[in-house]
Amino acid sequence: MTTGAGPEPQDALILCYCTMLTVGEFRRACAAGRWPLPGKENTGKLCTGCLGDVLYCLERFETPTRAPLSATS
Amino acid sequence: MSSSLSALLSATFYEPDYEHLVELVHQRDPEARRRLLSLDLSVFGADGKLLLEHPVDTRDETLDLGALLAHTARQHGRVMAVFDARYDAGVFPYRPHHYAYVHRKGSATPALYYAVSAALGGVPDRIGDMSRLNNFDAYVFRRGPHAARYSVMLGNLGRFASAEAQVFAYYGAERVERTIALGPRAHAEVALAPEHGGQLLTRVETKSLFRLAGYVVGRREPSGELVLFDHLFTFFK
Repeated sequence: MTTGAGPEPQDALILCYCTMLTVGEFRRACAAGRWPLPGKENTGKLCTGCLGDVLYCLERFETPTRAPLSATS
Repeated sequence: MSSSLSALLSATFYEPDYEHLVELVHQRDPEARRRLLSLDLSVFGADGKLLLEHPVDTRDETLDLGALLAHTARQHGRVMAVFDARYDAGVFPYRPHHYAYVHRKGSATPALYYAVSAALGGVPDRIGDMSRLNNFDAYVFRRGPHAARYSVMLGNLGRFASAEAQVFAYYGAERVERTIALGPRAHAEVALAPEHGGQLLTRVETKSLFRLAGYVVGRREPSGELVLFDHLFTFFK
């Protein structure tokens, strides 16, 4: 699976067909550091068909909340 | 958005010169209460290029893919037809399967009847803990008198993510592996040698990071006519 510099996902798109999570909900939750949202914890884990797209979006939306791990930590 | 709204994304492959009828809802009840809320068809070339979009009237019992796609498929070859359904989870206790008939025009061979491969959704969150992996699939061949060559057709229904799929063909104790890269919405037919090292093909497996649309295919020689078109079966833990 690769992500790279692909298209910008549109907010109205259903990202996970099992939990009915939209791209917009996922984007906002990541921006607020609130992922996973209550009730959406199984996103990407049920049918697995959206897992690649979830990882793609996560890479684009994720806000670093901690310092990178060092070799001595 | 209704809390009972559910979604299912399924896909099949259409080739020119075939009659291909899709039942929108398998075993629709006489009162037609089990009707989809919406169904959109989109069609992709082998490279993932969007070729056609078509909203489907959910009051229809069947969709004639040949009538819609024959012209497109003559230009582009095999195309992937993707069905994006919305349904009420209260009306459909599990999911609204699509089934289909495929039959080569003018052939005396009976039509093939199959379940359209569901790749996204249809596994409601209420199921919770998944008891099986559904991105590892397998098919065991019962060698019949008709098919002379076999393949698997794989389609990546990812909207953004590329996928790598491993295809394992088994010949007795021997295993032949092939890796296929598929961009978003791209698809491919992977040929399976009928024999390797003097052993006949007995089983095929496909593995990928996430679920792909997949079918096992058998064709008659030399016409290439489909005599097997079926989804693979999921491994159980």
